Amino acid sequence: MVPEMGYLDEQFNQLEELQDESSPNFVEEVVALFLKDSPRLLSNIEQTIGKYPQDFYRLDSLVHQLKGSGSSIGAVRMKNECSVFKAHCNDRNLEGCRRSLQKMKREHATLKQKLESYFQLLRQVGPREHAVNSRK
Amino acid sequence: MMELKAKGSTSIKALLVEDIEVCRLVLSTILLRLHCEVTLAMNGKEAVDLFLEGKKFDIVLFDKNMPIMTGPEAIVKIRAMGETDVKMVGVSADDHAMEAFMSVGADLFVPKPMRMEALGPIIQEVINKKKNDMV
Repeated sequence: MVPEMGYLDEQFNQLEELQDESSPNFVEEVVALFLKDSPRLLSNIEQTIGKYPQDFYRLDSLVHQLKGSGSSIGAVRMKNECSVFKAHCNDRNLEGCRRSLQKMKREHATLKQKLESYFQLLRQVGPREHAVNSRK
Repeated sequence: MMELKAKGSTSIKALLVEDIEVCRLVLSTILLRLHCEVTLAMNGKEAVDLFLEGKKFDIVLFDKNMPIMTGPEAIVKIRAMGETDVKMVGVSADDHAMEAFMSVGADLFVPKPMRMEALGPIIQEVINKKKNDMV
């Protein structure tokens, strides 16, 4: 999958390279796991932001998990926004964390839509070896 | 704790210590592609417990920040048990992670996300050492 508009980096290509006959749906499985985990983490982050007193330690831990799993699928925009969020945690800047969370949620929604469309298209066109390179 | 086996040769016993499930799936798949026999631990304490149970590994890959016990903390405890031969590899995307791992006795540090090209030569080195030790 060509990294589309900067949403995915070369790590996604690494996942595709790991896919083989023994795990023909590996990429989709990894992405499905990310899409299962990430809404929970975003929800936990949102709940933790709303609590008083603020628990920046827990916020940092939650966004660390989100950053780690996002990086593993090449979700570069989410990874970068997680870094921004962590910096706000470090500065104990709650308003910064709130703004960053909204951005993360938007990035996540867009990424989810693009990935789901990508895998739907893959299922329609079939295995890669049957694809025809129209540029040849 | 979970054990995974690649088809074919499984001569290298690898322990992957990683709390994030997506990362565990990707890294364990890389290790399986490199024909390792993979055991999974969710945090540093689980890794330490495996060594306390007498389990043997050729290579251990540690994430840095994990609940209950971090990677560097686990390395300190495992090395203190006299496990000086097992190759300990720190894996992290954090700044200053390399220093945190190397200062406690890790053999290597590999930044995340880890690529197969980075881990391949490391596994080969472990294979070569194991063959030499058997001679």
